[in-house]
Amino acid sequence: MSESNHKTSAKSIPTRRVVINSVDLMPHDYCSTPGGTLFSTTPGGTRIIYDRKFLLECRSSPVAKTPPRGLPDIPGVTSPPTKDAIKDKAHNGEALNNNVIKTPDSKAAGDEAQFEMDI
Amino acid sequence: MNNKFDALKDDDSGDHDQDQSSPKNCEKEKNEDEDKEPNTAKKKMVVPGVGEHPLQYNYTFWYSRRTPGRPASTHSYEQNIKQIGSFASVEQFWRFYSHMVRPGDLTGHSDFHLFKEGIKPMWEDDANKMGGKWIIRLRKGLVSRCWENLILAMLGEQFMVGEEICGAVVSVRFQEDIVSIWNKTASDQATTARVRDTLRRVLNLPPNTIMEYKTHTDSIKAWVDFHGLVTASGGR
Repeated sequence: MSESNHKTSAKSIPTRRVVINSVDLMPHDYCSTPGGTLFSTTPGGTRIIYDRKFLLECRSSPVAKTPPRGLPDIPGVTSPPTKDAIKDKAHNGEALNNNVIKTPDSKAAGDEAQFEMDI
Repeated sequence: MNNKFDALKDDDSGDHDQDQSSPKNCEKEKNEDEDKEPNTAKKKMVVPGVGEHPLQYNYTFWYSRRTPGRPASTHSYEQNIKQIGSFASVEQFWRFYSHMVRPGDLTGHSDFHLFKEGIKPMWEDDANKMGGKWIIRLRKGLVSRCWENLILAMLGEQFMVGEEICGAVVSVRFQEDIVSIWNKTASDQATTARVRDTLRRVLNLPPNTIMEYKTHTDSIKAWVDFHGLVTASGGR
């Protein structure tokens, strides 16, 4: 009888990675989550959340590497793959070099890759 | 239709040169909402491709650069701000990002703006006019990484302030670089505090980093005051 009830599929609970580098990043009280988020009280309801590590992983997908449609050619700023870009080497060579996509090796892609900033 | 983005130009650079065009331009803003930019005219809402990871919001990349000298106003508008393009998914974002130079490699007095689609990167936009921004000044060499971390956090909805975020700006200047993130309601202290704390976390800033919050009304006032002064003293 009761087994005729429709099944619910199992889904993993969404999580978010928060990296704590120093004690200052810890919340002030025990009812807060590091990073300030309680999923039950996310303002604005459900949102599409991605962490840095996930976003960086998406960068290596082939579809993320194709040039965007209608990219304006702004010298020194964008590098659309035009013939001009090849022809005009002296000018665009540098810009192209800046865009070599470094596929993040999967370990370093995460938060360990953060740099120390000293300002 | 000229110079509607002039107000962007000096912003927080702290190195106000006196070669701006006249301050009256910023008052023309209101009647000129419907611009004739080709990019806007043919604009269609972008959507995520099949199998791509949708973002919470669509965003638009902009680029601006201050032209040296005192150019004619229409000319200067044309050169000051350009739409690079809009995207709706993580993959579409990377397509643009990978075909743009990193901010640390920009030359001159240049800015990238990344704003939610439909919000112009200017103080007077409806979404911005009651707003403000957190500003972080960076010594040279840090900006590319910092900008990347900032926009990844924004696109990934790490700020957790509902609809409050408007966009982010990186400004490359002579002595330093500046990143900032704009929100809608400057008076909402819970939001601005949360944005600040998220910035500290995602940018991996040391605890003593100075972060400054500035309302856009103050920015406008400062801009007008400064340029008024320039005009009174006859400029450079």
